[in-house]
Amino acid sequence: MTGRWRLSGPVVTLLLALLIHVVGMLLIKGFGTTFGVRAMLVLAALLAIASIGQTLVILLGGIDLSIPFVIGFANVAAAQLYGQGVPFAIVLPGVILAAMLVGAFNGALSSILAIHPLIVTLGTGTTLQGAVQLWTKGFPTGGAPAWVQKFVSIGGTIGPIPVPWLIPFTALLALGVVLLLSRTVYGRRLYALGSNPRAARLALVDPVRMWTVTFALSAGFAALAGILLLGFSGSAYAAVGAPYLFQTIAAVVIGGTALVGGRGGFLGTLAGALCLIELTTVLVGLGLQPPLVQATLGVLIVALVAVYGRESHVRELI
Amino acid sequence: MKRLLARRPELRLAGGLFIVLLLLNLILNPVRFAPANLGVTLGLAAPLIIAAIASMPPILGGRGGIDISVAPLMGLVNVVIVRVLVERAGMTSPFEIVPIVLLIGLASGVLNGFLATILRIQPIVATLGTYLLYAGLTLTISPSPTGTAPAWLKSLAGTGSILPILAVMAIWLLIKRLPIHEHLMSVGSDDRAAFTAGIPVTRVRFLSYVAAGLFGAVGGLSLTGLIGSADPNVANSMTLLAISAVALGGVSLAGGKGGLVAAALGAIDIFLLQSVLTYFNVSTFLLQMAYGAALTVAVALNSERLAQLLSRGRRA
Repeated sequence: MTGRWRLSGPVVTLLLALLIHVVGMLLIKGFGTTFGVRAMLVLAALLAIASIGQTLVILLGGIDLSIPFVIGFANVAAAQLYGQGVPFAIVLPGVILAAMLVGAFNGALSSILAIHPLIVTLGTGTTLQGAVQLWTKGFPTGGAPAWVQKFVSIGGTIGPIPVPWLIPFTALLALGVVLLLSRTVYGRRLYALGSNPRAARLALVDPVRMWTVTFALSAGFAALAGILLLGFSGSAYAAVGAPYLFQTIAAVVIGGTALVGGRGGFLGTLAGALCLIELTTVLVGLGLQPPLVQATLGVLIVALVAVYGRESHVRELI
Repeated sequence: MKRLLARRPELRLAGGLFIVLLLLNLILNPVRFAPANLGVTLGLAAPLIIAAIASMPPILGGRGGIDISVAPLMGLVNVVIVRVLVERAGMTSPFEIVPIVLLIGLASGVLNGFLATILRIQPIVATLGTYLLYAGLTLTISPSPTGTAPAWLKSLAGTGSILPILAVMAIWLLIKRLPIHEHLMSVGSDDRAAFTAGIPVTRVRFLSYVAAGLFGAVGGLSLTGLIGSADPNVANSMTLLAISAVALGGVSLAGGKGGLVAAALGAIDIFLLQSVLTYFNVSTFLLQMAYGAALTVAVALNSERLAQLLSRGRRA
C-alpha cells in the first residue's frame, strides 16, 4: 500500500460522510436544517472523544472494551460527587484521574503478563461498573453544573455561531491528538510498537510503559466523554456508555485504522464517527424502526469496511 | 482427569476452580445439585455452555479470529422458532424444526466465514455487523417476549437438557478425528508457517466460523427450551459472557490453544460462581463485580508469562 493511499484514507471517509449527508438531504425533508446538523455534530463529537482512546489503543495493537464501563463510571461518579457538594473543579480532574488509574492497570496487566487486552479490559470494566452500581445502589443522583450542560447542549451557541463550545473543543482536542501522533516521541513509539513489537523493543521502546500510558489515556478520554454525556442528558445513568462498546471500534475501523496495529490515525476516526452518526440519522429519518436501524447499520458497517478496510491475505504476510 | 490435566496444563485453573465451586455449591445448595435435579440445573447452564463452545473455533484459528454474533444468533433462532415456525407455519415436530434451525446456523456460519476470511474484514467488525443484523431482526420479528415453545423443546430445560450439549460434543469429537482440527490448531499457532506448509489457511478458518454458526443454532434450541417462549432480550447479554467463559477456561485468544473441554469448563465455572453468589442473595451489582474480578484474576493466574516470571524469580 502506498503512502498516498494512507494519506487519503480519512479524506475518503469524510467524502463518504458528505455523500450520506447529500443523500439524506435528498430523501428526507428538513434533514439539512441547522438544528439537524447541530445535533449530528454534537453526537459525532461525543463519539469522537470516546473514540480517541480506542484509536490510540488499536494503533498499539490492543483493544479496549472497558470504554463503555469507564464512561458509565465517570458519568455516575461525577453526578454523585457534584450532587454531594464537591466542587466541580475537583470532581472533573478527580474522576478522570481515577479512570486513568484503572486504564493504567489494564495496560500494565495486559503487557506484563501477556494477556489479551480484550479479556483484561472486559474484566476490569465489569468490576468497575458493578462497584459503581453498588456504591449508588443502582439509583445515581445529582447532575452536572449548568455550564457543562450549556457546553454540550445542541441548542448552545458561541456568540453568533450556532454551535455549542463542544464543537471547537473537539476540534482542538483532535488537533492535539493528531500532533501527539505525528510530532512527538510518544507517537513514534506508538506506531513502532504497533507495527512491529519485536523491532520496537530492540529500538529501546519499553512496551510495558507504552501500554500503561496508552490505556490510561484511553480511560481518561472515556471518562471525559462520560462527564460530557452527563451534561448532554442531564441525569446520570450507569449504562449510558453501552452503545459506545462497539461504536468506538466501528468508528476507528471505518476511519481506516487497522485492528492489527501500527496503521491509521485519529483523523480517520473523526471522519468515521461522523459517518456513523450521519448513517444512523438518515436511517432514523427514513422512518425505520430502531431494530431495523440497527440491522441496516450492521450491514452498512460491513459494506463500508469491505470497500477499503480489508486485511491482507496470509500469503502477503510472509 | 489427572492425565488430562498433565497433557493440558491450561485446564488446571479452570479445573481447580470447578472442583472448589462445585463443592461450595454442594454444601450450600444440596437440593439444586441433587442427582434428581441435575437435569434442570444443567438446563440452566446449557445455553451458556453451548455459547462458549460455539465461540471457541474461530478463536482457535488465531489472528484476531472471534465470533461475537453467536449469542444474537441464539436469540434469532429463539424468535424464529416460536414466532415464525410454530406460530405462522404451524410446525411442531422436531423433525421439521431442528433441520431448519441447523440450516439457519449453517447459513450464519457461512456468512460470517465469508465476511471474515474470504472478504477479509477484521473478524470483530465482520461479526459485529452480523451481531447488529441478527439483534435487529430478532426485535423486528418479536418486539416483546411472547408465545410458547413446543413441549419437546421445553423438555430441553429439564430431563433432556444434556441432549444439545451431547450433540455439540459429538460434532466436535468428529471434527477432532479429522485432519481439519490439526490444521486449525496449527493455523492458530502460526498461520504463516501453516500456509508455507501447504495448509489451506483461508478454508480452515472459514470452516471454523461455519462450526460456530452450527453450534450457535444448537445453543438457540437449548435457550428456547430454557425460556419456553420467544424473548428478544435474553441472548445478547450472553455475548461477552461467552467470550469470558472461553478465556476463563484457558483458551488462548491468540489462537492455537484450547478445546471443547476448556470452553465448557469456563462456562460451567461462571455458572457455578453465579449460583454460589445468588445463594447468598447478593445484589446483581456485587455479582457483576465478583464475576469481573474473578475473570481478571483467573486469566492473570493462567498466563504463561506469570509462570515464567515466578520461576525466574525463584532461580534468582
